[in-house]
Amino acid sequence: MAERPLFDRLDETVDAIVGRRDATAALRDAELAPLARLAADLRHYPGAEFRARLRATLQRRTTMTTTAMNPAVREGFSTVTPYIRVPGEGLVAFLVQAFDATETFSTRGGGGGMHREVRIGDSMVMIGEGGDGGVMPVRPSAFHLFVADADVTYRRALAAGGTSLGEPADRPYGERSGFVADPFGNHWYIATPLGPRSVGHALRAVTPFLHAPDAAAYDEFLQRALGAVEEMRQDEGGEFRYARLRVGDAALELGTGEAMPGSYMLYVMDPDGSYAQALAAGARSVMPVSDEPYGRVGGVEDAVGNQWFFTRPPSASR
Amino acid sequence: MTHSIVDDRSLVQAAQQDPARFVDIYDRYVDRIYAFVSRRTGNRTDAEDITSQVFEQALRTIGQFEWRGVPISAWLFRIASNLIADHFRAQRRASDQALPELPDPGEVADIDRRLALFWHVERLPELQRRVIQLRFVEEKSIRDVATALERSEGAVKQLQLRALESLRKSMGQHG
Repeated sequence: MAERPLFDRLDETVDAIVGRRDATAALRDAELAPLARLAADLRHYPGAEFRARLRATLQRRTTMTTTAMNPAVREGFSTVTPYIRVPGEGLVAFLVQAFDATETFSTRGGGGGMHREVRIGDSMVMIGEGGDGGVMPVRPSAFHLFVADADVTYRRALAAGGTSLGEPADRPYGERSGFVADPFGNHWYIATPLGPRSVGHALRAVTPFLHAPDAAAYDEFLQRALGAVEEMRQDEGGEFRYARLRVGDAALELGTGEAMPGSYMLYVMDPDGSYAQALAAGARSVMPVSDEPYGRVGGVEDAVGNQWFFTRPPSASR
Repeated sequence: MTHSIVDDRSLVQAAQQDPARFVDIYDRYVDRIYAFVSRRTGNRTDAEDITSQVFEQALRTIGQFEWRGVPISAWLFRIASNLIADHFRAQRRASDQALPELPDPGEVADIDRRLALFWHVERLPELQRRVIQLRFVEEKSIRDVATALERSEGAVKQLQLRALESLRKSMGQHG
């Protein structure tokens, strides 16, 4: 029987190597064996596209690192600050009792309600109580909260009036966490990192956890609209599962699921430009850019329902 | 393909002063770290994901990197080893035997051989390089490669053979 040509035998071997099938038969073919060994190594060849993509991501990240010392960010705050609207008093008391929050500022707002600011660990949260609240609706949202002992904080949150959404357990993503809804329906994923490489080490004490039914599409939107940089993404069976996005010196987490939209302040040097960029990406305006007592601000709402208020406080000089 | 410690030190200092210079570290070490991670995980998706995390973590912590005469590669290998171990734990694939933080001599030999091979792939004629890219990176069938390149399947098989033979010759000269 005439021997099949070498290019055919090689191709059959490449098929087996790429398909993770047994290709050892090639090693018994003296002519083919050295090529088969090279082919096995080529399976580990890093794609040019991957290298270019990662390089571009790192370059964007370094640009953001350089701008992390953004003078538009209020002292003690980070680029993104959640603004939780509630119908009346009580959330601050819950946060103090459950999470050791400290109230740092309060004032009566233009709509008759109270504007409060609290610190939890290294993070700030703004709360609007009662009043007409302007364009921000009253609605619960979700947060990842990193603490020293998730079990202890979980019990304190229940004692403070929270409702359990899931008891503390070791999670496969490297943290021990329990889930609690506060008396106003906000979800708190109370977590303690389990290993040195848990995502918790890359996040602030309070990190907004966004959900979207089509989270992959929403991930792309956030990158276009906010200039967010995807730091980490996990897919499962080809389906989007989780992503971590960086915006300035803050992070957003994103998972697939029913949206719990919230409102967020973003400190930027150029609110007009950021507002225009978000509109161009497909968001709709809820507040045209204008000069307010607390700074120059413009707000948009995206398809998921999250609101983003681009703000340059008066303290930021241009 | 080896670099002096003095060069490493300048790279670190430059990146600490100006984060934009971190890409110089990336350009120098991405293939080496990828080859290491790929060898331990044996899976392209995991290798790309973990390699990305290695450089993101390195960028985040470069400011705290204290120069003690240890090459940057050792620092990056340690980050990679920890991430690989975390990955195996998450996958419930922890082996009983802990893998060393730095590549052992067998791994170093494999990594060096692959780095040389990758270097030669970059220098193949354009069409041959595209066949390698489509066949080994994108894992396309010979029929799909033929469609993508608008060539017959036979012609693509010949290109594949010529690419491998050329690499074999170059690698023979290399070492």
